[in-house]
Amino acid sequence: MPTPSITLHNHKPGAPPGDLVIWLFIFAELLAFGIFFGAYAFSRSHHVELYNQSQLLLNRESGAINALVLITSSYFVVRAVAAIKQGFSRECANWIAGAIGLGGVFIVIKLLEFNAKFSAGISLSTNTFYMFYLSLTVFHFMHVILGMVILTAVMLKARRGGYTPEDHTGVETGASYWHMVDLVWIILFPLVYVIR
Amino acid sequence: MNHPPQPHFVRPCTRIWLVLVVLTAVTYSIGEAGLGGKNVMLFVLAITLIKSQMIASYFMGLRKTSPMWRIIMGSWLVIVGGMIASAYLMGLQ
Amino acid sequence: MQYQSQKVAMPYFIAAIGLFTGQILFGLIMGLQYVMGDFLFPAIPFNVARMVHTNLLIVWLLFGFMGAAYYMIPEETESELFSPKLALLMFWIFLVAGALTIVGYLLVPYAGLAQMTFNDLWPTMGREFLEQPLPTKLGIVVVALAFLFNISMTILKGRKTSIALVLLMGLWGLAVFFLFSFYNPSNLVLDKYFWWWTVHLWVEGVWELILGSLLAFVLIKVTGVDREIIEKWLYIIVAMTLITGIIGTGHHYYWIGTPEYWQWFGSVFSALEPIPFFMMTVFAFNMVNRRRREHPNKAATLWALGTGVMAFLGAGVWGFLHTLAPVNFYTHGTQITAAHGHMAFYGAYVMVVLTIISYAMPMMRGRAANSEKAQVMEMWAFWLMTVSIVFITLFLTAAGILQVWLQRVSETPLGFMATQDQVTLFYWLREISGVIFLIGLIVYIASFFVEGETKEAA
Repeated sequence: MPTPSITLHNHKPGAPPGDLVIWLFIFAELLAFGIFFGAYAFSRSHHVELYNQSQLLLNRESGAINALVLITSSYFVVRAVAAIKQGFSRECANWIAGAIGLGGVFIVIKLLEFNAKFSAGISLSTNTFYMFYLSLTVFHFMHVILGMVILTAVMLKARRGGYTPEDHTGVETGASYWHMVDLVWIILFPLVYVIR
Repeated sequence: MNHPPQPHFVRPCTRIWLVLVVLTAVTYSIGEAGLGGKNVMLFVLAITLIKSQMIASYFMGLRKTSPMWRIIMGSWLVIVGGMIASAYLMGLQ
Repeated sequence: MQYQSQKVAMPYFIAAIGLFTGQILFGLIMGLQYVMGDFLFPAIPFNVARMVHTNLLIVWLLFGFMGAAYYMIPEETESELFSPKLALLMFWIFLVAGALTIVGYLLVPYAGLAQMTFNDLWPTMGREFLEQPLPTKLGIVVVALAFLFNISMTILKGRKTSIALVLLMGLWGLAVFFLFSFYNPSNLVLDKYFWWWTVHLWVEGVWELILGSLLAFVLIKVTGVDREIIEKWLYIIVAMTLITGIIGTGHHYYWIGTPEYWQWFGSVFSALEPIPFFMMTVFAFNMVNRRRREHPNKAATLWALGTGVMAFLGAGVWGFLHTLAPVNFYTHGTQITAAHGHMAFYGAYVMVVLTIISYAMPMMRGRAANSEKAQVMEMWAFWLMTVSIVFITLFLTAAGILQVWLQRVSETPLGFMATQDQVTLFYWLREISGVIFLIGLIVYIASFFVEGETKEAA
């Protein structure tokens, strides 16, 4: 049995999974998105007609498919954590690889969507709705990329057998961040694509 | 502490995933049907907040944490949901 | 002091304190000119005093940052500096160039200075904070490159810690963004647009990285808390700084002819800029509370804690006050901006440089800490300067609110100069606080000359 190394990760009972510092980061990010969502909502209340009309031109399919992609990807990450808790490093790495793959699918779909909008001549200055649509989705898009980078680092370490049932804070840290990326899209999709 | 992996017919997290998929489909169909208005908005928002809470509780694992963490996440959801709803209602006038 | 080459930091710190004194004197001159317009006219007109005041600030902070880097990097990388000789040479070049520039400002009319220094060949002068003549700007680039070469080579051959890497990133960023001071498009909007790439991305971007790593270094030394914990905090602070600070540039783009979306970007992202500063405060106090040793240098600990608090108040709170576009619509370019500028620069950058000086100077003079008596004096200086900057900020804020009210909100708005007449009282109070600040600074300098029993450096 490996002796659990003295970890610096303050894992008090009741603390959320993963490194405490990632949670500070997650909540700071959620605050940023929260302010953005609020700004969208209140700006909409001044231009309801404009928002309703512009919203019709969005590609709801791609938004919904991407929601499913991220939810499933989040689920894969849950399975990865469950796997490492039982000591299955290989399985853990495979689940994470699946999650990263789905992240890639999200990115491809999103790029197609952006491409369609840009070739239709839509830009940040088109109107306030598109300003928000583009900045919210691009900002989220960048978080997907960051999340994939974090997950890749975790996957490589898991593949080398770097995590154990006793010490797998790294996996939980990456997982928590990825769930946050999912959570934001869960709210963004109905807010921007559906509610009218 | 040496349980063998428990035999699950369907793991709890898989059930959560299924519910999330179904709820997303509901949201999407409402969009496809072109529905709008106050009640539809409240319904869609409620689904969204339920989904978010499920992700926070089950996927992010907050349900096993101390109240402080759940309160922070819960109030974020309430505030964001509240802002969206009240801004929508302001727009109706 | 573990490495011989750390000692090159000493002349940098001494020059920094000297130029700091100059900055305060010109601040006082200018403060008086607010209420006595012809004071020292025509020898030192207001615009010259202002230019000297702000340029000296930037130059002495750069001296401080360089000194800090020369002191920290050998200890972090566990190897002697690549070339202490080069560091010393650059010190003299920078000092002479800086002094010549200031003398040029004071003795030659600005337009004449521009003509003498080939500004017509490559126009870069005449913009706030970047007033330096072309040769000075080029000199800054040469000094910065030699400095970065020296620091980077030292890091390459030694231990690579997060603190060293964050510092290096901040310093490289500082040099790279300075390059925008050479770009001066004739379109005024574009000019301002890129001007902020130097000014904003310095103080609300890369300088914060320098601030974070200096603070982390001193906290490790005085608290003995594990490096891993401190580095984790540093990473998160750096990430938040970059996320909020880069797009936060938008809060300068509101009314200058840029697209409207900047009002949203600027408001949202800069509203979040207090977060990294808040984290720094929590970080400093948290680490001091978890300290594993009682470092004899109490003054350095006080400066470190003070940096956390004052940076949050000055940069975070006072910045947030007027960062939202609807608020800024009224407060743009008023004394509110001046209030924020004073407290933010003092709280974040002045204090962090004084923190590292407070920690490093005794070490370089062969002791772990100064004598009890010297430390008490230094702490007096801390409180005198900090409290008077708080009052300067409060008086300027009051002046700013009144100014906004009389000049921009009122039904019967007054003109600019008529408004200035109405806020004279606050300008006098500000000037008095400024004098107290100078007294604090004198006490601070005097504390270096107080003898007494000291402990040998560990």
